[in-house]
Amino acid sequence: MILGRALVRCLAVLALLIATAAGAAEYPTKPIQLLVMFPAGGSTDIGARIVASIAEKELGQPIVVVNKSGAGGQVGWTEMSRAKPDGYTLGFINLPGLNTIILDPERKAVFKADSFAPIINQVVDAGIIWLKADSPYKTLGDLIEAARQKPGQITACTTGILSDDHLAILMMEEAAKVQFRIVHFDGGAQQMTAILGNHVEVAFDNVGGIVKRVQSGEVRALAVMDPARSKFLPDVPTTPELGYPTVLSNSTRGIAAPKGVPANVVKRLEAAFTKAMENADHVKKMEDTGLAIKVMTGDEYRKYYQDLHAKAAKYTEWARSQQR
Amino acid sequence: MSATMRRGWRVATIVLFALSIFTIHQSVELSLMDRLGPGPGFFPFWLALLGALLSLILFVEVHRTRPEGPAIPLMPRGPALGQVSLIVASIAVTAALLEPLGFRLAMLLFNGGLLFAMGERRWWAVALFAVTGSFGVYHVFNNWLDVVLPVGRLGI
Amino acid sequence: MDTLALLANGFVAAATPTNLTFALIGCVLGTLIGVLPGLGPAAGTAILIPLTFNLDPTGAIIMLCAIYYGAMYGGTITSVLINVPGEAASVITCIDGYEMAKQGRAGTALAVAAIGSFIGGCISTIALTAVALPLAQLALKFGPVEFFALMVVGLSLVIGLAGKSLAAALLMTVFGLLIAMVGIDPVRGAPRFTFGVEDLLDGVGFIPVAMGLFGISELMLAADSRLLKPISTRISSLIPSRREMRDCAGSIGRGTVIGFVLGLIPGVGAVIPTFLAYVLEKKISKTPERFGKGAIEGVAAPETANNAYANAAMVPLLALGIPSSPTIAVLMGAFIINGLTPGPFLFQERPDLVWAIIASFFIGNVILLALNLPLVGLWAKLLRMPYHYLCTGVLLFCILGAYSLKQSVFDVWVMLGFGVVGYLLRKLDFPLAPAILALILGPIMERSLRTTLEISGGSFAIFLDRPIAMVLLAIAAAVIVTVAFSPKAIEAVSEDAQ
Repeated sequence: MILGRALVRCLAVLALLIATAAGAAEYPTKPIQLLVMFPAGGSTDIGARIVASIAEKELGQPIVVVNKSGAGGQVGWTEMSRAKPDGYTLGFINLPGLNTIILDPERKAVFKADSFAPIINQVVDAGIIWLKADSPYKTLGDLIEAARQKPGQITACTTGILSDDHLAILMMEEAAKVQFRIVHFDGGAQQMTAILGNHVEVAFDNVGGIVKRVQSGEVRALAVMDPARSKFLPDVPTTPELGYPTVLSNSTRGIAAPKGVPANVVKRLEAAFTKAMENADHVKKMEDTGLAIKVMTGDEYRKYYQDLHAKAAKYTEWARSQQR
Repeated sequence: MSATMRRGWRVATIVLFALSIFTIHQSVELSLMDRLGPGPGFFPFWLALLGALLSLILFVEVHRTRPEGPAIPLMPRGPALGQVSLIVASIAVTAALLEPLGFRLAMLLFNGGLLFAMGERRWWAVALFAVTGSFGVYHVFNNWLDVVLPVGRLGI
Repeated sequence: MDTLALLANGFVAAATPTNLTFALIGCVLGTLIGVLPGLGPAAGTAILIPLTFNLDPTGAIIMLCAIYYGAMYGGTITSVLINVPGEAASVITCIDGYEMAKQGRAGTALAVAAIGSFIGGCISTIALTAVALPLAQLALKFGPVEFFALMVVGLSLVIGLAGKSLAAALLMTVFGLLIAMVGIDPVRGAPRFTFGVEDLLDGVGFIPVAMGLFGISELMLAADSRLLKPISTRISSLIPSRREMRDCAGSIGRGTVIGFVLGLIPGVGAVIPTFLAYVLEKKISKTPERFGKGAIEGVAAPETANNAYANAAMVPLLALGIPSSPTIAVLMGAFIINGLTPGPFLFQERPDLVWAIIASFFIGNVILLALNLPLVGLWAKLLRMPYHYLCTGVLLFCILGAYSLKQSVFDVWVMLGFGVVGYLLRKLDFPLAPAILALILGPIMERSLRTTLEISGGSFAIFLDRPIAMVLLAIAAAVIVTVAFSPKAIEAVSEDAQ
């Protein structure tokens, strides 16, 4: 039954593809590669595959998601910055991860901020501070007070050096004049293991990954680092509400092309991806995973990208100076 | 240990020793220790030191043994050397041609060339294997498994 | 009592004709993915996720789990037949599996691997249903500190793989660890030993290295010996004899325990269980000299551990929502795409689904056995192909595999380079297995030590507060001391290879 229906759907898509391919000779005329700089199965990858499966129907050409993970995205972005700007190689840019790699001199990245032409943003995932449900710290106030009592002893973990979570810890340290003992992990899974196993006390993370766990009472969220409350966790206060208006952090991801991509291609992609991202199926699938969609295109997205770069510069420099 | 084997071990241990010394040199340029514990150079430094020590021990050990048994040549000669080089060269050439020519043409050349060089003279067998192993494989990977294989400058 | 009723319901839900078809398709596709080197289980599963978009969640997850098991088994086939590990967990199977193939016992090796996988998988799933939740909680005690200790134990056991010379084995371990250092430093993000080559930023992948060290070097050795003939002209009985089955009954049992226990700990990965199972078999065997020369226990134990691990690794996912390996992370992504977030709440929210999936693990294991036993003969027959066809085919396969791993020609060069290095080192009888295992364990070890020191603020005293880590380090120390200071042990080790 189900198999039969799936087959019919596949055939329909196939027929559509053939029909469109035959009709139009303008862009795109062949499959498009969409690079994802993180491993398959991660939240960037999931988002990419969902939007690609819808946008390829709009564009009339298959979109192939290719995972080029490694070195926090540096491997994939290096390749993307060198690809031909013909619109057949696109890639996800994860901010501020991309910015800090560019800004950190130790990384010796070959690409710069203007190596990429941002096309459309897909997701904004606000930062969140959380810990295990049985932790003695019930509120953000408790945590800050404890950090003040024991400077440099409360362990706080990130999902990677110079990730948005790392910058968020630095902002918190700056705003509350405290110091944490920062522990870097490779990603969400390691962070979760470390918190649930009582190896680390508090996690700086993003809303997307832990909505379900907060709802089920396994972990406690202390604050969302965003001007507005998260629609997935309406009971969790925000950092501005708690008196830290400067502690704002999020991670966004969207689609970009190598610089120099023709304007007509950008226009076609903007239109197709906007339609795909507003598609009910896309919205539902993304929200089920706890990811908030925020479509930004054109000048809005480009300005966002540039402003963020300036902000990240300050904290990257500070993070590096602390190590020495 | 035969005389040829002894020579081989001596060369190998010297190469590994040199590699270790080079690594030590490189690691001290990275930070070994800083305020936050071991730095990027910490592990490579100690490992390379251990590597240098071990290769030295092995060199001395081998040096002290006496050659025994017949000296069987270690490296291939004549036709065998040809066969070994053929394998290495065929991979190298294919790797170099993979992107300019594209997967299909590079593999067509590789399959056909290697089979012919290894003595297959039935042209239809060579052709069948070469086409299946290039165009056929490309079709399966590209269209069924969604693995993008390189397309060359000629458009295939 | 509840568990059994729930499981029974799960079987009813899982065993519909549609779901059985999905499981079958999944096993076939998975085996195919496993057979293709480079296209490992993680990449393979990810590629096939879109296939499941249009299915209902139960069917989709059943199919993806079947792909996962199939891939784990498929990797064995190439290890045994052509000395090319299809995925990391099959590296150790090359050692004795390929030797068996050279002796004309490829069929037996593959059959034993299939049977061992089946038993390991089923027992592991039974244990999963019985003790999943409490054990998963316990496994969380394994933090970075304990991980470092576990990796030290693993490396100390590498000595168990030593050939003629202990110093040579250690030197190869160091060689592997140093290769593992290439790339971006995992903690600080500084590039190391990359010499400005961007392809090296992500490090040297161990699949191209393993394909080079084992597969390419093997073909070069064969060409060198001027024995241009099929690896084996004679294929003895495909089904293991009763004596062989008796020999490996214990190995299968021990492999199951090792695979299951390590599968519970998030982050261990599939390689360590296989390799611990192999070393343990060699250590307790009355005839350790047979290992490396086609000992059937050397195939049975790691292959069983591999599948027991694959099933047990579902425990942290289902019980805690923590993916314990890259492949499981992909599966978790598939759960999420289908609107399900794995974790303890999933047991409460959708018990029907969770139990249907657990039931499908049993079904998947049965299908895999039913699928693979009849095929064993067919696979083994491949070896009868004329040498020049086999050689060209294997090389084609290796180039394709190395390339498709990251869509990078650079990996093909890496494979070729390590093929030449492996050829030279094998000529000199240097043991290669320690190098490849160190390459896999190295990054985890370095990372866990440095994370440990971040947690402790730079103090090594943290190890003293952790009983599990202390016990593990004591084991490692004991292993090293007994080998280093007992002349008898050194003799035993050096006799192994002779």
